[in-house]
Amino acid sequence: MKPALKFIFAALVVGGFATVPSWGSAVLVQFGINALILATLAQSWNIIGGYTGYPSFGNSVFYGLGGYGVAIALVQYQLPSAVGLILGVVLAVLFAFLLGLPVLRLRGHYFAIATLGLTEVMTAIVSNLDIAGRNVGLILPLAKGDTLFLELSLALLVVTTLAVAWISRSRFGFGLIAIRENEVAAAVMGVNTTLYKILAFALCAVFSALAGGIHAYWITYLDPGSAFDVSLNVRMIIMAVFGGPGTIFGPALGAFALAAISEILASKITSLASIFFGVVIVVAIIFMPRGVADLAQNFRRFGWRYFQENIKAHRV
Amino acid sequence: MQLLWQILVNGVLLGGLYALMALGLVLVWGVLNIVNLAHGALIMLGAYVCYYFFTGLGWDPFAALPVAMSLLFCLGYLIQRWVLNLVIRAPMFNSLLVTFGLEVVITYLAQLLFSADFRTVNPSYAGANFSFFGATVPWVRVLAFGVALALTFALWLFLDHTRIGRAIRATAQNLVAARLYGVNPRQLYALTFGIGAALAGAAGALYGVVSQINPYIGAGLTGKSFAIAIIGGLEKSLYVLVGGLFLGVVEALTALYIGPTYTDVVSFGILVLVLIVRPTGLLGRTA
Repeated sequence: MKPALKFIFAALVVGGFATVPSWGSAVLVQFGINALILATLAQSWNIIGGYTGYPSFGNSVFYGLGGYGVAIALVQYQLPSAVGLILGVVLAVLFAFLLGLPVLRLRGHYFAIATLGLTEVMTAIVSNLDIAGRNVGLILPLAKGDTLFLELSLALLVVTTLAVAWISRSRFGFGLIAIRENEVAAAVMGVNTTLYKILAFALCAVFSALAGGIHAYWITYLDPGSAFDVSLNVRMIIMAVFGGPGTIFGPALGAFALAAISEILASKITSLASIFFGVVIVVAIIFMPRGVADLAQNFRRFGWRYFQENIKAHRV
Repeated sequence: MQLLWQILVNGVLLGGLYALMALGLVLVWGVLNIVNLAHGALIMLGAYVCYYFFTGLGWDPFAALPVAMSLLFCLGYLIQRWVLNLVIRAPMFNSLLVTFGLEVVITYLAQLLFSADFRTVNPSYAGANFSFFGATVPWVRVLAFGVALALTFALWLFLDHTRIGRAIRATAQNLVAARLYGVNPRQLYALTFGIGAALAGAAGALYGVVSQINPYIGAGLTGKSFAIAIIGGLEKSLYVLVGGLFLGVVEALTALYIGPTYTDVVSFGILVLVLIVRPTGLLGRTA
């Protein structure tokens, strides 16, 4: 598909989503909000993981801080929710700058594990903070209507996707891709790698924190376990990787596809949905490690050999 | 003083078990360059094997330990042979995700099969203890500590003094050269992962004796194993032992002086700090 056609198609989908509350059932609207938030998270992980090549397990920290920003502002200081969202974003960006500086020096396994460790540390710290309600969590005042949240999360996803689209064709984005492909070479070419990496980290902090804030405001309850959930982080990674990391629409598509399938399965047996998720991860990584986006491009050319080639490229 | 001594003894005894938990992870990481996120889930399976042999067949948990090890070895061998071998040359991140997928599958299958209830393995001698310079020490913990030490030592002997052990170390150092000397990487990888899984099974069987188990303990145990692997580095099984004892003692001291809810802050804080300051491990050589 031509890029222009893709954007027109995307605009139609967005328009369709915006009208869901007027015809869809309450369950559908709630599923929509969840899927949109997951898609936003997958899309913002795409910036650091897909474009920059740094597999972050710390994005759920941004998400959690965003949620706690809203919760603390609303519950402890009775401030308006918009202030809470901003507070969450500020906290997340601060975290990205302060801890991104040392952690982004690590590569590969070590970066992944360090960010995983940071998530655990944040969970434990927040469960000891009085202002955050310790490990009991905070109950937020009830907000009005699912429709508002659907439109809010839809708007957030659109903005995030536009940001990714900008990245994919800007000087900044080319710098990130250069870092992903070969960091030393990028530095030699004059890319300020430290600055670029931290900016990418902070950018995904902004969007993840907003998603966390909206979600907390919608669910009206927040505790450290669910706010800094590592498995949520893995979920955004899987969705991004399933859809196609480093592409504009892949992560959002992956998020919708996987969210829909696991929603259907979860309505039968919850643990079955989780098992399915695990199997999808394993099978997808083995057979199509570059995601659905790449599959769609190359399947016509290679046919079934596409899967064979992928396995051949990576096995012993 | 009395309390501090008791806490230190507890920390050391727990640390030995931690070391055994991390040993399999370190072996697989060092040789295959796979960070196995399913390691904790394998530990959990080992604990359940022990539990079912104890409650179902009336076996002593320590007698069930070799059974847990053999079963987990077979499972590990199959996982590597038919799943992980397919992604071994892919970017490291892919194998990480695959092991995460396996973790999810194992955990939720366990939840379906074993239910989410907490289980304990309580042999008749569970309450027996003795006094060690004023500290009360349960025999079960000493036994678990002893088995953990023995297995760590056995792995060291195996890697240093047997043909297969040498082949494993050679592969870790240089795959191409090892192949030239007739090592079949497919089988050797499967064997190595199998041994890692067997060690996880042993750790699980011991864990079930000293603590409660449920299908979700895996993720936390993987985290602890990481911390130990990072503290000790990936080079020698002896260093892993030191890392395990260190973490056990630090956790015990944190629980005493700062508060039991802060143990995770401290252990993962150490993990992050060590990574930032010395990515090759506190005891590893400098890169």
